[in-house]
Amino acid sequence: MLFSSITFLFLFLPVVLAVYYIVPYKVKNFVLLLASLFFYAWGEPVYVFLMIFSVLFNYFCGRDIHSCGDDPRRAKLSTAFAVVANLLILGFFKYYGFLLDTVNAVLPVDIPYRELPLPVGISFYTFQALSYILDIYRKKAEPQKNILYFALYISMFPQLIAGPIVRYTDIEEQLHRRKINAVKLGQGAMMFIIGLAKKTVIANTAGAVFERISDIPTGSMSVLTAWLGVLSYAFQIYYDFSGYSDMAIGLGRMFGFEFRKNFDYPYTARSATEFWRRWHISLGTWFREYVYIPLGGNRCSVSRNIFNLMVVWTLTGMWHGAAWNFIAWGVYYGVIIVMEKYAWGASLDNMPEIVQHIYAGIVILTGWVFFFSPSLGYSLRYLLAMVGGGSGIVDSQGIFILYTHWLLYLLAVTGMSAFGIRLIRSAVRLFRSVPARMAAASVIYMGIFLTAVAFLVTDTFNPFLYFRF
Amino acid sequence: MKTGKISASRVMKYVTLAAILAFVIILMLFMSGSTRPFDEVKEAVAESLDPDELTEQDCARLKRDFGLNAADFSGVAYYSAESTISASEVLLIRVKDYEQIQTVLDAVGQRTESRMKDFESYLPEQAHLLADARQSVRGAYVFYAVSPKAGEYLKAFSGSL
Repeated sequence: MLFSSITFLFLFLPVVLAVYYIVPYKVKNFVLLLASLFFYAWGEPVYVFLMIFSVLFNYFCGRDIHSCGDDPRRAKLSTAFAVVANLLILGFFKYYGFLLDTVNAVLPVDIPYRELPLPVGISFYTFQALSYILDIYRKKAEPQKNILYFALYISMFPQLIAGPIVRYTDIEEQLHRRKINAVKLGQGAMMFIIGLAKKTVIANTAGAVFERISDIPTGSMSVLTAWLGVLSYAFQIYYDFSGYSDMAIGLGRMFGFEFRKNFDYPYTARSATEFWRRWHISLGTWFREYVYIPLGGNRCSVSRNIFNLMVVWTLTGMWHGAAWNFIAWGVYYGVIIVMEKYAWGASLDNMPEIVQHIYAGIVILTGWVFFFSPSLGYSLRYLLAMVGGGSGIVDSQGIFILYTHWLLYLLAVTGMSAFGIRLIRSAVRLFRSVPARMAAASVIYMGIFLTAVAFLVTDTFNPFLYFRF
Repeated sequence: MKTGKISASRVMKYVTLAAILAFVIILMLFMSGSTRPFDEVKEAVAESLDPDELTEQDCARLKRDFGLNAADFSGVAYYSAESTISASEVLLIRVKDYEQIQTVLDAVGQRTESRMKDFESYLPEQAHLLADARQSVRGAYVFYAVSPKAGEYLKAFSGSL
């Protein structure tokens, strides 16, 4: 079930919220768990059992690791077993087809294989389970005694499908005690509405422009069209994923949970390093906490640090998908971040701010070309078109797209910094009294909601991009 | 007491992992698709069909009957009865993208529903065939058969993957 669907907005969410707020406090987690399983089973009626088995497996693994407390060797072995088993399950669904395709391409063989669709959200819930296992091993968390609470942590519908990846230590306390009130419900609803508008109004429209441009052969693409294509994709993926995160965090708050933010205006970054501190923060934090620091982080020799960074970025690329373009994208960021740290980072810091923004913009957009390309060859041809290797500098197609979609680009640029949300707040603050401000906020957010729904009902099926990861 | 709890957790983690493995094996046996080329699957299905009952149809007929464009998919084979009083038909589609599966299933659902309305009043035995239609989604393949031999056709399709 999509957050941006009529069924979710006008049936599932109101019913779940009503039941959740009516039932006694003790039963609320159970209600949310049932709703989460129903939500997942709606789209994945078979794979819901895989998720339930994964919950049970990690629950018992957590308890087993904890029980080895006075025997470090056994605890280590038990943790390794849980980590390897989780990674094998994820690897099987996500990478085994890619592995056999690579074997078929490299060796003179053609091995047919049976393929299974990727279970939606498996990368996200597996990483959450791993954070639980590793935090118990490192004694940063106690194993959850109540299996229903643990199942809720893994399967909670607001963040189940596409994150943010919530670390167990961030939510452990909230599973037992959290404030549920009208203020949080209202704040959550406002965040949700902003996220919904980001998805339906901007991301889907930008996606349609990108789709149209990507249908043009790269050889017939002007520089303008190629840049508009990658810019449209950049807006699509940002508003799609950050919109989903806003909706997830907003929904979480409506049910009383506080999740950390997943995006912090990444396109205002002045370097690739800063971009990754602002983009998909929960994934970056996960890799830093469970891969980069255990490998030695930056408290080691330069060569070892470079190795650590390259490992983390290659894995980040692989996490996004089983394809060479994702690995190339990860390696690309690894190289750029290493260079910013050891080669040109200091010089970049001394440059005017506008130069830093242009540098970051070029680096980020080039990265998206690797990300959206179906193959490495296509990405190189697309990059060539961006520097004039296609069909001239400007063509009528590019001008037409710019002319017909200038409002989209204006909206997208306005919303990519804090300026957009400040505009809404300023409009509310035009009124002096609290009731008037509340009424103004209600009118504004209702307007945004109705606009988002209008886009939704006239649009075709548009799942979130990060569902496929 | 503590030892008992430890062994229970340890045993249960192996049991649940075994359950996951069993689940994956079942999925691979009964739900998986295949990278086998479309032409090979089509050939295997076509060999099982009764030539007196079904004739291969073109893209225009697919569009007319199901509202689907053959060019949207990586492979399409459509067979139906020449006679208008027979509901028999077999459809095999390999989608380009898993998101297309729902589109195909919706089209199949609508087709079945509209033909049920057509047949149930004057040819109830054909309406029964429609009610007993066999449908299967295996990876990127969608298979649909309406025929007295629908079970056999489905078996041929599953075996071809």
